[in-house]
Amino acid sequence: MAWVTWQQHRAQLVVGLGLLVALALAAFGTHLTISEAYQRDGLPDCLPPSTRPGCDLIVAHFQGEFGSWASAVRGLAVLPALAGLFVGAPLLARELEHGTYRFAWTQAITRRRWLISKTALLASATVVAAGLVSALVMWWREPFDTLQGRMAPSAFDVEGLVVPAYAVFALTVGVLAGLLLRRTVAAMTATLIVFATTRLIVLTFLRPTFMAPRHRTVLATETGLRVGDWVLSNTLVDAGGRQISAAREDLAILHAQQANIDPHTYLVMLGWKRIISYQPAGRFWTFQIFEAGLFVALSTAVMVLTVWLVRRTPT
Amino acid sequence: MTPALDARALGKRFRRAWGLRDCTLTIPQGAIVGLAGPNAAGKSTLLALAAGLLAPTEGSIAVLGCDPLREPSVLADVGFVPQGAPLYRSFTVGQAIEFARRTNPRWDAMIVASVLGRLGARTKVGALSAAERTQLALALVLGKRPRLLLLDEPFGGLDPFARREFLKLLMDGVAETSATVVIASHVMAEIERVCDDIVLLAGGSVRLEGRVESLLESHRILMGPRRPIGTIRGVREIVRERHSDRQLTLLVLSDGPIVDPSWTVERVGLEELLLAYLAPPERLQPPKPPERLPLQWHG
Amino acid sequence: MTRFCLGHESSSQALAARVESRRQVLRTLRYQDSFSGREPHTRPRSRYHPPVIQFHLDPVSGVATYLQIVQQVKEALRLGTIEVGDQLPTVREVVADLAINPNTVAKAYRSLESEGLVVARQGRGTFISSTLAPPSLRHHDALRAELELWLASAVRAGLEDESIRALISATLRQTRSRRVA
Repeated sequence: MAWVTWQQHRAQLVVGLGLLVALALAAFGTHLTISEAYQRDGLPDCLPPSTRPGCDLIVAHFQGEFGSWASAVRGLAVLPALAGLFVGAPLLARELEHGTYRFAWTQAITRRRWLISKTALLASATVVAAGLVSALVMWWREPFDTLQGRMAPSAFDVEGLVVPAYAVFALTVGVLAGLLLRRTVAAMTATLIVFATTRLIVLTFLRPTFMAPRHRTVLATETGLRVGDWVLSNTLVDAGGRQISAAREDLAILHAQQANIDPHTYLVMLGWKRIISYQPAGRFWTFQIFEAGLFVALSTAVMVLTVWLVRRTPT
Repeated sequence: MTPALDARALGKRFRRAWGLRDCTLTIPQGAIVGLAGPNAAGKSTLLALAAGLLAPTEGSIAVLGCDPLREPSVLADVGFVPQGAPLYRSFTVGQAIEFARRTNPRWDAMIVASVLGRLGARTKVGALSAAERTQLALALVLGKRPRLLLLDEPFGGLDPFARREFLKLLMDGVAETSATVVIASHVMAEIERVCDDIVLLAGGSVRLEGRVESLLESHRILMGPRRPIGTIRGVREIVRERHSDRQLTLLVLSDGPIVDPSWTVERVGLEELLLAYLAPPERLQPPKPPERLPLQWHG
Repeated sequence: MTRFCLGHESSSQALAARVESRRQVLRTLRYQDSFSGREPHTRPRSRYHPPVIQFHLDPVSGVATYLQIVQQVKEALRLGTIEVGDQLPTVREVVADLAINPNTVAKAYRSLESEGLVVARQGRGTFISSTLAPPSLRHHDALRAELELWLASAVRAGLEDESIRALISATLRQTRSRRVA
């Protein structure tokens, strides 16, 4: 089956390699500029939490200069979906659409073994490719991770163990979609929707709860943010602990301005505080393992379902 | 000996209708059987069930003694050429052969080469004509030296010359491998030429089965002036009756030589015979209990 | 041998020709192990002599295919086209030429064997083993007389020419198939 898989997916492999090479070239090309600026601007001495004078400006300047590139890297989060769209979805959909399953499934190899072998081989290749992308991004993002941390989704989603896990998940979803929908384009669409929705749900509702978030209470004047933490919520509460609505906050500031007092000092006088709920930066790898594990478990479940269903197709 | 194909009350239901219903059929090993019938008669469904591509809704099917879904290892002995001979278009001929070679335990490169003849190994499957693709599909199934060959409308898209050439290759392959063959087709000329037995399917059920020779020998067309018919000596049963104002044409099942001078007696071609049996049952005479007939009539 | 007399040049050419034809024979007999497609592959012909008889099939004659083959062999014997010791084409050769059922060819050859005209040698082929006795003219006169009597009865019974011909050919076919089956 290795030969068969290789023959049928040669083109995809070539395109994938091409993409990797293009990414690597872009990364190496830009890295030079960034590390030069990093050294030249004296950032290594200004790493947060640094209170040396002028560091805020230096850091802000650096981030402003390369901020757009860093955001672009965030777009690499779409790469794992490609595995689902272009490798997973056509796997079964194309066979069923073109009728070639009547050729492939009437040889002496069983349908299940055919499917499992093919998917396993493709998944392995996907994991390797995604792992390479992840490693590349982690290497490239090093200055930014030091400055901003990597718990935020813009960094978390494109680094570490989750990238291969997302890719495998997209792949298996694609295969199942192909089996159920039997049309390549429909399967690709469905894969994209399911993948995006699942990622969004996990990111919004599950990831914040992997471990109990920590809380910190600070005075209303302080921002209370520490670099690298992933802030989940930042609420203003009054002395009795009740949350203060934006309208009330605006009113208070208005009063302060009318009374000619500095608004921040006024809020502190009122006894108001900020409660910040966050996930500390140190939990990065733990969360990576949790999320990657979750997606791997989902992939396995999807694969089991697909293998069970393939016997009954076409109905 | 285990029958090559054994269907018992086999039925397959699709979303809207039954493709095959209550089909009972036994095909012995070594036979070359033609599966005839109009479109949507159930021929493709029957072959797909035999090849393990579909699961029966009711009844059972066994090929070479095994259920193709529960014991898929029997597929190593079954060669299936689906309608349209679907193959991977981006593959070359050589790669298609390699695919089949690697997914089957037994491979005979000699027979593949003899069937392919001058077909180049580097030609892309997508660039082949329909005839060449069918030829390749035949080479790929014969390469695994199957004991049972299932062909679904192999003559589709082939001109008469190509059909004859394909048939030569097929028969040569059968002579070499002694495979049992089931050909589903509505090209009666070629079926009549090579098949020992014929099975007529219509509306999802078997209407007629028997040896081609006996069928052709035992049926005759009688033509004569239109008049009430009494018993005609040599005629066992009237299968179909057609009349114009003055003339009467009968298709009859005979049990002896018909020497009635008032009738013109002619042999009947296989196609016409099968068409007559395809007529809706109400128009046919109720069958008399068969005594020692080699054929069976299914209503 | 490097030196030839002038008169024997042709023999060296003949030798070269024989060697070349043997090489050709070996080429056609050698089957490639895998179909690599490096050169166009011709269908291997496992014989190196042309078949002595080529059959033709008349699908509309109403005569069973195997009987046609039997008849054609007998005709060829009568005409002297084939003789004792000649090998009939193999089942595969007939089938590849005519596109008919191999069982049919086998049946025809078995029928010829049961009539004692051919003998099948395991692994080698089917060979003519005896000729057909020429029909004795002596029998013709007696048969003709009987036929005339019979014809008279048929006409008296009211049969027309067409019916008589139909009856004769039908009975002839039945007698033949009963004898052979």
